[in-house]
Amino acid sequence: MKLIELLVRLVVGGVFVVAGALKILHPTAFVNDIANYRLMPHDLINMLAITLPWVEVVAGGLLIAGIWKRANALLITFLMIVFLVAIGQALYRGLDIRCGCFGTVEARRVSALALAEDAALLGMSLWLFWRVRD
Amino acid sequence: MRRTVQRALVILFASAALGLAFNAVSPRSIRYVTPPKAVLQPKDTVTLDEAHRLWGDGTTFFLDARAPADYAAGHIANALSLPAEDFDEHYPQVAQMLTTDTAIVAYCDGTECELSHELTEKLREHGYTNIRILMNGWTSWHKAGYPTDTGKQP
Repeated sequence: MKLIELLVRLVVGGVFVVAGALKILHPTAFVNDIANYRLMPHDLINMLAITLPWVEVVAGGLLIAGIWKRANALLITFLMIVFLVAIGQALYRGLDIRCGCFGTVEARRVSALALAEDAALLGMSLWLFWRVRD
Repeated sequence: MRRTVQRALVILFASAALGLAFNAVSPRSIRYVTPPKAVLQPKDTVTLDEAHRLWGDGTTFFLDARAPADYAAGHIANALSLPAEDFDEHYPQVAQMLTTDTAIVAYCDGTECELSHELTEKLREHGYTNIRILMNGWTSWHKAGYPTDTGKQP
């Protein structure tokens, strides 16, 4: 079971570190991706684009490193819910936009598949939150 | 549980602070408050049909304002890549093919995309006078089934 926990931490943490780092590389593109979701007040979009990728990288990195695992699992669970809502509402409203999930390296659009991946990650982070003890 | 929430908040605020600090020193730093949306006059934009006609004439240059990776993944056929984010780096290469009165259509992707506006502003600072924007360019062009291409700019 310890091994499974480690594997799940590596997967969830790894996805977050990579996704965050790729967004840090292209802040302007990330601003556009956020804007296209039409969820955020316009003035706050840049602030979110500046800070969110770093939360992803730090929380993912700490989860992998095994520092404050439960707190990081909680934070990641919260972010996954936010991402799920963002993608879900875009699909519901019929927005044909780029996912922006992994910065500019993927041209992927928001889709049911992206939603399913997010749901899987949410499941894993919830499981970690339930299982790990610091 | 309380301790876990406290720790999560510490991580949240500490990483947000890291992001703010990084943005202050990054060469690609952006403004903290999103600049107001550009107000476009009808004369500053082209419709999809018009863009397609101009594209067919072959006298208008199409400039892709998105990041190079997006351009490589798919762009309007014959369009040149000139990322608004790294304008200074890419401008010299593209400038060889343009004169200040060249007809230009700039585009990015998404109805809220501001990259083409940024690119237009930068080109105007360099003296270009004949630039228009194709709103939601990549998505609308691609959806219409008009010619596209993939790969990096040679």
